[in-house]
Order: sequence, then C-alpha cells, then structure tokens
Amino acid sequence: MVLKNTLKEFRQKKGYTQDELGKRVSVSRQTIISIERYRYKPSLELAMKIANELNVKIEKLFYFA
Amino acid sequence: MTLSKKEISILIEIAFSILFALIFLPYFYRNQETVFVFSEVIGIVTRIIIFSVVYFSITYSLLEFNYKRTITEDERCDMINSKSYKLGYLLYEFSLLIFIGTLINSSIHQNGRIIFLILVLLLIISIIKSSYQFYLHRTF
Repeated sequence: MVLKNTLKEFRQKKGYTQDELGKRVSVSRQTIISIERYRYKPSLELAMKIANELNVKIEKLFYFA
Repeated sequence: MTLSKKEISILIEIAFSILFALIFLPYFYRNQETVFVFSEVIGIVTRIIIFSVVYFSITYSLLEFNYKRTITEDERCDMINSKSYKLGYLLYEFSLLIFIGTLINSSIHQNGRIIFLILVLLLIISIIKSSYQFYLHRTF
C-alpha cells in the first residue's frame, strides 16, 4: 500500500500556488512539490495543517492505494 | 535545472571542501615527515581561518544578493539533515576505527602525518555527507 494524496487537485481548486500553500503552512515550496509527487510523507501535524488550510477532510486528502 | 537556495548553500559547502583540499592539503602532504609545533603551524592556521571567513562571506553574500527569500527550514529539511548527518556520523566512526588501527599497526611518530591523515578523512567524509544531502534535496 502506498500513501497517495489529492493535494495538487485541492490546492488548485483553492487557487493556491505551491509557494503560497507552503507559506501558509510554514514549509518550503520544495516540500509541497515532494508531497504532491508522493516522494515525501508529511507528518500528521503537517498533513492536518494542510487539510485545515484547504478546508478538506484529511482522509480525502491522503489515502492508501 | 533550477536549484533552490538551500541546494546552492550545500554546493557552496562542497566547493569549500574541494578548494580547501586543493589549496591547503598539499602543504600538509609535503610536511608529513615534520613534527609540528604550535608556533610553526600558526601561520597556516591563520591562513585557513582567513580563507574560510573570506570564502563564506563572499559566497553567502552573493547567495543572499541573488536569492532574497530566506531558507525555510521545515520537517523535510530536518529529515534530510538527520539522514545525511547519520551517514556522516557512521563514516566518522568507521574512519576513526581504521585510523586507530593504522596508528597501532604502524610506527607513525610524526604528528605531520597524523594531521594529514585526519584532514584527508575529514574532507572525504564532509564531501560525501554534503553530496548525499544535496542528492536527497534533489530527489526527496
């Protein structure tokens, strides 16, 4: 099982750039890129911050596939 | 290929290690048979300190001038740092064992050779650690 996410989709729906979202959750643009490409698995704290920022439930944002 | 500010700062560290090896290592290589005393090495130590200060002042000033944004140290950076420093630590331990073994099994009495060997080990490990850190930043 691989942890995947719909971050890019929800980020674009919200109209944020990777840089903007990164600033809002206090991480670098590179970290957002890495998460979107499934390279980096964020901590629970960061995942919840992102979900909160995008107004989406965490289980919709991150899922196992 | 676009590099982030963090990646460039790692490249600056790698370049420093290489420059240090090219500029100062030959001196210690030539003086391996020497028994150094502090008063004799004060000149080279001063040159190393001045070189380091000038090098990092210039490179980081240029970096700050070209990249206005500050480096965001987040959890991904922490994870990359812990992985690369762990590798560096293991290499230090391993090289220390080899170094002690070399000292026991040989009759190295000149501290010049010991200093040279330590510097070579430190530079190699530093370059490997920073290269691995750079690799992780690019791929992770």
